[in-house]
Amino acid sequence: MAREIYAYKCRLCDTMHYPFRMVCKNCKQNDFFEFDTVPLPKKGNLLTFTRVYNLPAQYEVATLGLGIVELENGMRMLGQLDIDEPKAGMAVEGSVEVVRQETYDDYYGMVFRSA
Amino acid sequence: MRDVYVAGIGITTFTRLEFALSEIASYASMMALKDAGITEVDQVYVANMGSPRVNHQTALASAVVDSLSLTPAGAAAIENGPASGGSAIKAGFQAVASGMEDVVLVAGVERMREVNGLEATDFVATLTHPIAEYIYGVTLPAHAAMFTRLYMDKYGVTERHLAMVGVKNQNAALNNEWAHLQQEISLEGILDSPEAMTNNPYVAEPLRFFDACPVSDGGAAVILVSEEKAKELGRPMIKISGVGQATDTHAVHEREEPTDLLAVRKAAADAFAMAGKTPDDVDVAELHDAFTILEIVESEEVGFFPKGEGHIALEKGETALGGKIPINVGGGLKGRGHPVGATGVAQAWEIVTQLRGDGEARQVEDANVGFTCNFGGFGNNVVCLVFEKEA
Amino acid sequence: MSVDLEKILRPVDSPMAPYEPKYMLLASGEAAVVRAVDRDEIPDLLKHVEPLLHVERDYYDVVASRVYAELLSHYQYRFQDQYVLAVQVDGELAAIVNGRQVSPKLGLSLHTLALRRGLRIGAHAFAAKMEYHFDALGHEEVLIVAESPIGFRRWMIEYKLEKRFDIPHELGGVPSWALTRELFDAARGSLVVGRRPVPPEILDKAMEAILPPSDPPTPALDPLAATRSKYDPTATALMVERWAMEEGLQDA
Repeated sequence: MAREIYAYKCRLCDTMHYPFRMVCKNCKQNDFFEFDTVPLPKKGNLLTFTRVYNLPAQYEVATLGLGIVELENGMRMLGQLDIDEPKAGMAVEGSVEVVRQETYDDYYGMVFRSA
Repeated sequence: MRDVYVAGIGITTFTRLEFALSEIASYASMMALKDAGITEVDQVYVANMGSPRVNHQTALASAVVDSLSLTPAGAAAIENGPASGGSAIKAGFQAVASGMEDVVLVAGVERMREVNGLEATDFVATLTHPIAEYIYGVTLPAHAAMFTRLYMDKYGVTERHLAMVGVKNQNAALNNEWAHLQQEISLEGILDSPEAMTNNPYVAEPLRFFDACPVSDGGAAVILVSEEKAKELGRPMIKISGVGQATDTHAVHEREEPTDLLAVRKAAADAFAMAGKTPDDVDVAELHDAFTILEIVESEEVGFFPKGEGHIALEKGETALGGKIPINVGGGLKGRGHPVGATGVAQAWEIVTQLRGDGEARQVEDANVGFTCNFGGFGNNVVCLVFEKEA
Repeated sequence: MSVDLEKILRPVDSPMAPYEPKYMLLASGEAAVVRAVDRDEIPDLLKHVEPLLHVERDYYDVVASRVYAELLSHYQYRFQDQYVLAVQVDGELAAIVNGRQVSPKLGLSLHTLALRRGLRIGAHAFAAKMEYHFDALGHEEVLIVAESPIGFRRWMIEYKLEKRFDIPHELGGVPSWALTRELFDAARGSLVVGRRPVPPEILDKAMEAILPPSDPPTPALDPLAATRSKYDPTATALMVERWAMEEGLQDA
């Protein structure tokens, strides 16, 4: 079963949030954790991108591709890019994979590839 | 609300300092105390971002207040990422303006070079959103790079414009004895020559080595006092006439318009409104150029130039010493260095120096109104200040 | 029958193609010359390496002590097939790089020591050294290790070096990494810069003499400052050391 990244939908006014916040940014009336989880769409268009050469200590690769993607439902998210020559506006599709490893822990996030 | 004046200033060299964190803060503070001619204060605020993580020290203000023999004055550390300095000045301002305190010491300090560069990069990256950003390996240069790409596509800013800011600011630092970088660079060396890719490699495309500020240690301090105290001390009457702060979404991808820095816009507008001034009134400005793109964008968002035209004004020389609105004449973060917690206070130090007429080789003529913009997070927490010289 | 001991002790150097000098424009706009250093010029280099033995930060002390040993033994004919290149800016020494030939197809990188910082001279020098191995000496592979974490990231990760962990590198016996001709050719475009031939007036200045660096790294205010400050954030030990030093000087 494929992993998902979740957005959070306010149960009162249906406003979608990614990442999570405690108080709905629209109605501000929700009770504690009064949200539903909704998987984020995996398809979208690349808004902007970069290739990072100066990485923090935990990364052992030479460079890292990062980008901000505008997803099908209008929301945006940051993800790693597995794309040789990214172009603004290109169609991409993501899958949830390991994006960081620290000692013995794996952290999962979205990795986008050309769609 | 009372008026608040800056009666003393102090700064250390920004470089690699082999001294304990509290000693660096105390050095700048001692300088400021001696400048003001006082040995007692009512309250101490210490601006700092990394002491628990990088320097293994918490409760920094408690260490500094004792090191300076200022006990039993109240003391607290203020952490607001790279805007810690601005926030600490705001806190000191509020203490004096409210009438609760008469003399407040605000010191900013950072000792990032206690760890190696890779750890320092990670340390700064911890200000990003833990789940939506940090785990992806995003760094501040990566955020600035993605923002730059959008700006290049939308407004026509080029790598040349970025390099021009880098050259302007790094070379301006030669006029500032406290600045980290004391090495002249040229556009040919960093951009035009065949060797430019090795001299100036990509840090995060399209940002390059000379587009980013160095990692520095350093401290700066200011003494904030009431009008009555300022007159008693007899130092030049430099007033903080405007304070503005605004925040924006934590995750950069959630910003309403990806090429806007709304927190800068609002913080600046609020500061000018409080001071009863407009951007045109400003004679000298310190903007937060941790990355060269930020100087260009901030110059637009604070109101010096229309949106999308900051790079054109740069081309015309309007932001250099002698231009219409000199920006970062002491080197900015690029040339002076960026000890994260100290920067906001160092910007105030530079403006007060200018307004006092002590700028020497980098003095802006007829400097009466000064402005600082201290940019926290990646534009999600910004503090702007307006300074005025009174006759 | 007398035996000439020196003939036995002195290694016989293999024929190695000479290094053709080149120059490059630095970020400051100044020209840096990279050229080979002859044995008789080694003492000129040694006197600028020696002060770095006392600079405790950024592994300068470790690198300088090894470079000193390599240069001195090269000078005294106790090191086989070593080459030494110097980088000079307006005659002033800015960096020293050295390495050696292990066999006709295999090279070994020794050190890169930068005496002028802030202009990426070390990066230029390292690339020049690799170019020498592959283009002039005809090596197919160069073995490399790094003493500092920044060195590690730059070389191992950026050049995408291959692991050769079965080969202990002679610098401390640690597992080696290798730059192959294939990897070098892939990186050549972005990493190897510089122009030949060097204009006569620039080359003459460099060949005339190795001038002292005007702003080399210097030891911190207190001895062992870097080490002390890591373990003693209050800097109490620093102060005590300084007082002891001052008292010692007063007695002298």
